[in-house]
Amino acid sequence: MSKILEANPNTEVLEGARSSFSIKKILYNKYVLYVISICLFLIVLDLFAVLQVFGNFMPRPIEVLTTLINMTVTPLAGKTLPMHLWASLRRVLIAFAIAVFIGVPVGVLMGFSSVANAIISPIFHLFKPMPPIAWISLAILWLGIGEASKVFIIVIGAIVPCILNSYNGIRLVDESLKDALRMLGGNRRQEIIEVIFPASFPAIFAGLQISLSMAWTTVLAAELVGAREGMGFIIVMGMNLSKPSMIIAGMIVIALTAFMISMAVNYLERWVCPWKTELETTE
Amino acid sequence: MENRIGNDGIKNVIECKGISKYFGEGANKKEVLSTMDLSVKENEFVVILGPGQSGKSTLFRMIAGLEKPSTGHIYVNGKEVTGPNPVIGYVFQRYTLFPWKTVMENVEMGPKLKGVGKKERREKAQYFINLVGLNGFEDAYPHQLSGGMKQRVGIARAYANDPEIMLLDEPFGQLDAQTRILMEQEILRIWEKEKRTVCFVTNNIDEAIFLGDRIVMLEGKLPSKMKKIYNVDLPRPRDFTDLAFLELREEITGETELAL
Repeated sequence: MSKILEANPNTEVLEGARSSFSIKKILYNKYVLYVISICLFLIVLDLFAVLQVFGNFMPRPIEVLTTLINMTVTPLAGKTLPMHLWASLRRVLIAFAIAVFIGVPVGVLMGFSSVANAIISPIFHLFKPMPPIAWISLAILWLGIGEASKVFIIVIGAIVPCILNSYNGIRLVDESLKDALRMLGGNRRQEIIEVIFPASFPAIFAGLQISLSMAWTTVLAAELVGAREGMGFIIVMGMNLSKPSMIIAGMIVIALTAFMISMAVNYLERWVCPWKTELETTE
Repeated sequence: MENRIGNDGIKNVIECKGISKYFGEGANKKEVLSTMDLSVKENEFVVILGPGQSGKSTLFRMIAGLEKPSTGHIYVNGKEVTGPNPVIGYVFQRYTLFPWKTVMENVEMGPKLKGVGKKERREKAQYFINLVGLNGFEDAYPHQLSGGMKQRVGIARAYANDPEIMLLDEPFGQLDAQTRILMEQEILRIWEKEKRTVCFVTNNIDEAIFLGDRIVMLEGKLPSKMKKIYNVDLPRPRDFTDLAFLELREEITGETELAL
């Protein structure tokens, strides 16, 4: 028997390998594992809910799903789920625009001028470690309970990465690139336009990315106090109405939105600076 | 400068007189380069040979005007160097291409800074892209190129700015051995076609003998001094296994070991 196997070893081994390989292949497929992971998680959740580990405040996953669908059609406080989502997004976008509009020029100025840096940075570093949420009470006292105070808080959170990354982006431009331009006859103005701005762009863009996700985090905190619309409001309402399924549905929408924002920004980045991979691969 | 014409009647385009360079102050003062005289003739290929950290790049940066000598004077075309001078084309060890620009945009940078019109500078850049053998890669970004190709872009970019002098600062230091030999042949081919005064820094003895009309050997330790000058009058193309080549190699190697 072994003689025969030896005489024809290739086909035997190959066949055996292929059949066992195909089972492995299905089992170890990334996407199959993703599905298994999520299913297991949902089953555990469901078990927790059915066994009432958290009393009545643990909804079954299926309840969350129905609530989610329900909320997209039936208005809550006069607004459906997409309208609440838009209310939050609108605040984020307004605040983000303000943060970029102020933060990037300030950071750039600090990067270029050591005098400006010396004047601004002590104040900046005093305010930087304060969490934006700590400003909620003051913001309401100063600007009232309306939109302005919420936008203010988000700006506080979103402006920090704008300033910091613009400053470092300008400051840390590779000196040898400046040398290269100078050797080609470039003057200071050309150095700024042709080297410093494009070279610092990836860092500034990364700052905008962080700023945007920061804004999205902060908007929820801002909406926990005195809001009448928005995703934070939904979560508060879920608590007030003792409807945990509403809270979890809101959380899911929040997470999905954050995910989609970061996907969109990544895509935008690849489109705006296709050469950026260089910075990740070399040195 | 009064004595710009050498004994052989060829003018000196670079003259370094008693230059030295210190970094730091007081107790931290460190001498990198000590009193050095060096002159380079028009269309000469001079190789500066020295081990790593021997102040070769500092010497180049001073000739280029990117740094000032602590003492002494440097004259390029008879005029004292006071700042970066586009008469000099600089090829950097770390390529230093602009990563956000394509090959074409990198090469046309020099003429663009001078305000040369798009059509004219593109034509010029194309000529040098072809010369370094990169036609077909005009629209590639630097990160898409291999090390050898990146340095070809660096060479073309320097050439496209119409320099009279080329300073190549260990341009092939980051390449693998095979690519390096190929690029050494390429740089000679390009130099034959577009004659310029070339100064070339290397720590590789074979590379020095293969390329140079003259080899300026530096001390192996700081502060760097000029140790010896070799005139290499072997005909080109040179052969790494040629007897005269090997003899010279042995001689220089002997000196290097003494230095270490």
